[in-house]
Parts: sequence; structure tokens; C-alpha cells
Amino acid sequence: MHEPPHWRDRAQNERLVARECGECGYVSFPERREICKRCGARPEWAEVQLAERGTVQSYVVQNRLPDAFETPLPLAVVDVPQVGGGEPARVYGLFTETDPEDVSVGMEVEADLREIFDVSGLPVHSFKFKRPRGDRL
Amino acid sequence: MSRDVAVIGAGMIDFGELFDQSLDDMAEGAYLAALDDVDDGIEPDDIDAGWFGTIDIAGNASSGLGASHPTGLFGIPMARVENACATGSTAFRSAVESVRSGSADVALVLGAEKMRDSAAGLIEGAALDQVWRGRGVTMPAFFGLRATRHMHDYGTTREQIAKVSVKNHENGSKYPHAHYRFTCTVDEVENSPTVTYPLNLYDCCPVTDGAAATIVASEDVVDSYTSDPVWVRGSGLSSDSLLRAGNEALVGFPASAQAAEQAYEQADIGPDAIDVAEVHDCFTITELVTYEDLGFCAKGEGGELIDEGVVELDGEKPVNPSGGLLAKGHPIGATGVAQVNEIYEQLRGEAGDVQVGDDPTWGLQHNIGIGRNATGSVSCVNVLSTER
Repeated sequence: MHEPPHWRDRAQNERLVARECGECGYVSFPERREICKRCGARPEWAEVQLAERGTVQSYVVQNRLPDAFETPLPLAVVDVPQVGGGEPARVYGLFTETDPEDVSVGMEVEADLREIFDVSGLPVHSFKFKRPRGDRL
Repeated sequence: MSRDVAVIGAGMIDFGELFDQSLDDMAEGAYLAALDDVDDGIEPDDIDAGWFGTIDIAGNASSGLGASHPTGLFGIPMARVENACATGSTAFRSAVESVRSGSADVALVLGAEKMRDSAAGLIEGAALDQVWRGRGVTMPAFFGLRATRHMHDYGTTREQIAKVSVKNHENGSKYPHAHYRFTCTVDEVENSPTVTYPLNLYDCCPVTDGAAATIVASEDVVDSYTSDPVWVRGSGLSSDSLLRAGNEALVGFPASAQAAEQAYEQADIGPDAIDVAEVHDCFTITELVTYEDLGFCAKGEGGELIDEGVVELDGEKPVNPSGGLLAKGHPIGATGVAQVNEIYEQLRGEAGDVQVGDDPTWGLQHNIGIGRNATGSVSCVNVLSTER
């Protein structure tokens, strides 16, 4: 059971499903609009699967958050590639199981499905990023 | 029909933690100060329309009535304008457009925000669901992401970013309406508590109550109010998103560059013509990248601009002589309106201890708002001049 806003976004949140513009190749995630944000066309959209990994484009480490968050909490802009090629999607990603000191621009990260919070006891699942296991010091 | 529009009056209250004043008290104070500021006097009946800028944090001003009650202005068009942290300057732009189009001869802009009536605080009191919907991106995170990448791409240093805070607190110490009047050093900024790496406490604007009001008039009636008007020569407003822009959105705000281009084109000037600017320094890094977005220097050279002293009070292009949001405070709906007022005072030579030299002719005001789950920004740029 899910609250409506989270039920609507389940495919993006839980399965990393995105859409690719047939005109310019822009990858729309998590939004699913008819008009492409980048080229302005009203293209055919192809449903594409994002990989469960990505590359950090920039990051911060948050120290002041509501009590429900564990701090310090790294957060990054991550470019997530498609399975099978094409442009990556650019997403915000929270980190888990990662030492804030280890995060850097350009680092490769893995995506893990987690329960990220609950609304009135109803769980909402989405991806968090972490340093790949083989790379841990 | 398109008419020239001038600012004829400006007023604001001292910003701060104003526990003894309600939203209406603050709005009334700013309105009366603006009426009193008009050189040759004005009657409330002269005002044809009003725009009220607030994001309504206090929760009791969701319409134009929020401005009618404290001013007594009923029976005329009054509307609330909201555009995130660009609310105040967007309200100003709306008033200017109404006068420019001929639907009003005299229009009021009133901006007010009661930030300190909640005990919880803006971040810690935010609905969890909303924070998660924005993927956990708080305001310092949104702007801090630009700092990390700017340092990575251009070698911008922590010290250069801290210098923005040092400069603005130095200016704010001389500005009577500022919330904070203390000065600080680069060391103190770098050693203040970390809020969101790479930003520390002194990189962040405070949580501040305040209100400001501006009165604009058409070329047809301006002479009855003042012989020293300040003309609104250009106004730009644009939106952009991290979800559509390229890497330029990781080191700046494309919406600011777009709004500036619109405003410069209307004014028929370039960034070199600007003598003084009040820009959106909600965080130190915001001001540094804004130098670049507004064309005050090339992309990546914001750090050098501050090292060279160009943007200091006595530099060749002073930025935030009022102390900016960092020292003056950021009562959201009032912020842009106060910035317009400060440029108006600078261009009239009335800015007192923070007056910039060489009789400035051209001034610029700039706001950035973030929204839509922290994906992008709306930016507003207004260009004012003593020259019509």
C-alpha cells in the first residue's frame, strides 16, 4: 500500500525506469512528460532502463537535517548510464554506507534499493548510492 | 503603448529577529516609510494597484489582502506574487510591467516575510515528505553542490569563497538596516561550524524577519512626485533546471544569465556599464558564481574578481554594499524589494556610510529562487539608471 504521490512514482523510484527522447536523446528521469525539456519537441519516447551505478558530478555533505536523517549525510549529483548505451540520466542521490571523506567528483558509485522513509507508516522505496564494495579501503 | 517607469519612493524597516512585530506590523512600517520617502509627497489614493511579495511562511497572507490590510488600500487591484526567493524582485517587475503597459500610473510593491514565528526552524521543521521528494536536497546543499564543482573545475579556493562573507559583513557593519552588524575574517569563516560541506555557518545567510516597499510611477505623472527619479531600464526573468541544462548548471545558474541578457538588452547596455549591484548571496558561493552569470567576469574567474578587490565597497564594481543577504538578512518576500531600494538610494547618492563613489549611473538588482524539488532556479534581474 502506498500514498498516491509515491504510488504514481513507483516505476522511477523502485526500478530506475527512464524515458529517452526520440529527437535529441535526452533522458528524462524521473519525470514523464510529453514535451522534451531539452529540445522542446513532442517526440516518441522510448522506455529505457538505467544501470544500478553512476558517476559523481558534484557532491555535498549535509550536517543539518531533520532528526529522521543520519548525519553527516553525503548527497551527490550523479550521472546514471542507460543499460545498453545512450546518454546518462542526471539524478540527485543520497549516499548510504559511505564515509563522507571518501566521496569525490568523478567517483564511480553503485545504486542500492532501500526504504528511504515512510508516510504514516507506509514505506517508500528508492535508490541510494554507495561506494562499490570492491573499492572500499 | 509602452511607457517609461521610474522608482519614486522606497522604504524598509530594520531587518532582524523581530519577535515584537507581526507580518502586518512590518508591512505597515515599510509602506509608511516608502510614502514618506517620496520627495514631493504622495497620497495613498494616488496608488492605482499593488503587488504583494511573500511566500507566506507566516501562513496568514495568501492573497493580495495581505497587503490591503496593513496599508488600508482596498478597492484597487491587489495581488500576491510568489516566485520562491525571487519573490520580491518578481513583485517589483510585475508592478513595473503594469505601469509600463498603461494599466496603472502609480503602483506599490510590498514585500514582507515573517521567518522567525516558527520555533522549529526552516530545515528541521520542513515536512519530511517534502525533503525526500527533493531527494534530501536542502538549500545549503543545492548551492553547495555548485561550490564543490566550481572548486573542482576552476581551482576556486575555499579562501576566495570565504572572502565573499568577509566583504559583505564588512559592508553590513556600516548599513543601518542590516540584521548582523559584526565583521569577520577569512579564518573565522573557514572555522565556523560546517552546515553542509563545503559551506560553513558564515557562508549562509541568517533567518531574518523584514519588510520593504517601493513605489513606481509612469513618465506621465513622475514630475508631480520627484525631480530625481530612478528609471527602470530593464527587467529580466527566467527559469532553468538542472534536469535540462548541461554542466553549466553545475557551476552556475543559467536562469541568471538568461535574465541578465533580457535586462541588458532592454537597457541597451552590457555588464561593463553597471556601476553598483545588489545580488543574491544567500550563500557565499551564490554571489561568486553570480559575478560570472551576470557577465562581471568570465566563467570560472569569480574567485579572481574577489581577490582583485573589484567588488569591494571602494572597488570599481561594488557588489552588495548593503551587506547582502549574508549580513542584512533574507526575509524572502522582502529581499528583492529591499535590493531595489538599495540601488535606488545608491543612484540618488543617499546610501550614507555604504555610498559607492564616482556618482553611479547604472545599478543592477538580482535574485535567485530555487524550487520544484530543488531541480532548478528562477532568476530575476532589474537594471536601474539615473538616465531615462
